[in-house]
Amino acid sequence: MPNDLERTAIADQDVDFHVIDRVAAEVLETMFFTEAVANGCDHAWFGSAITARIQFEGSHVGQFLLGVSLDAARSMAAGFLGLAEDEMTEKDCRQVILELSNILCGSVLSNRWPDSRLSLAPPELAGCNCCKEHAVHRCFALTEGALSVTICCADAPEPRV
Amino acid sequence: MAFSVLIVDDSPVMRGFIRRVMTLSGFEAGDCWEASNGEEALAQLREHEVDVILTDINMPKMNGEELLRQLETDARLRSVPALVISTDATKDRILRMISLGAEGYITKPFTPEALREELERILGESHAQ
Repeated sequence: MPNDLERTAIADQDVDFHVIDRVAAEVLETMFFTEAVANGCDHAWFGSAITARIQFEGSHVGQFLLGVSLDAARSMAAGFLGLAEDEMTEKDCRQVILELSNILCGSVLSNRWPDSRLSLAPPELAGCNCCKEHAVHRCFALTEGALSVTICCADAPEPRV
Repeated sequence: MAFSVLIVDDSPVMRGFIRRVMTLSGFEAGDCWEASNGEEALAQLREHEVDVILTDINMPKMNGEELLRQLETDARLRSVPALVISTDATKDRILRMISLGAEGYITKPFTPEALREELERILGESHAQ
């Protein structure tokens, strides 16, 4: 039986999952014209993914990590820019994924902690950002490809096993 | 009647998206200027007549908060309405931007309809198609 502290950590993680799922679906549908459905983790696509990172500090300290499979990145970037995929450069595609990480990060964090005061660093392209310990991690199936969100927080609860 | 707009955001793809969304929302945009931070925005405002400013908050050199402070200190620019478009939905941030003089605040993600409603409210329906 989990004790009170463990029950609180489990409840917090359920809230984290709910907020990430809701915000990701809303952001991707409204501004990137694709559907996102929470899905089991299968990180085979990570090798060729475009990945971005945003550091944040203030009332909470940590980093937000986004991974997008290459096919999904190109499709979403084209939708965001209103261009056909063959009219778009690789730089365009990377800039749209950086903007997506910025929107997702700001929206997830401010919805999760509405009374917080946070400062977000500019998004940057990062190396592979697979699931890490002491982090909240979600994977999504998109219309074309896959996407993952990971939030590593200095005050995050232990991950649920 | 067309209106002139200044879009202030450090992301060029976001500036392009806002332009496109304004068109999709049915607004008749006249001149559309762009700036990647508050400093560039002030320079654009000194050169051009602008009906409304759409500004992000987190930007290098001069952020959206400082831009609003600077607008308040300028007798000519004080009357130009500013609409904040940001990912930050925290109460503290929204209240702070409104207290600094923002006429409205839209959180990303936003729909073309939401942007149109805010622009109509700020500019008046005479500016809408």
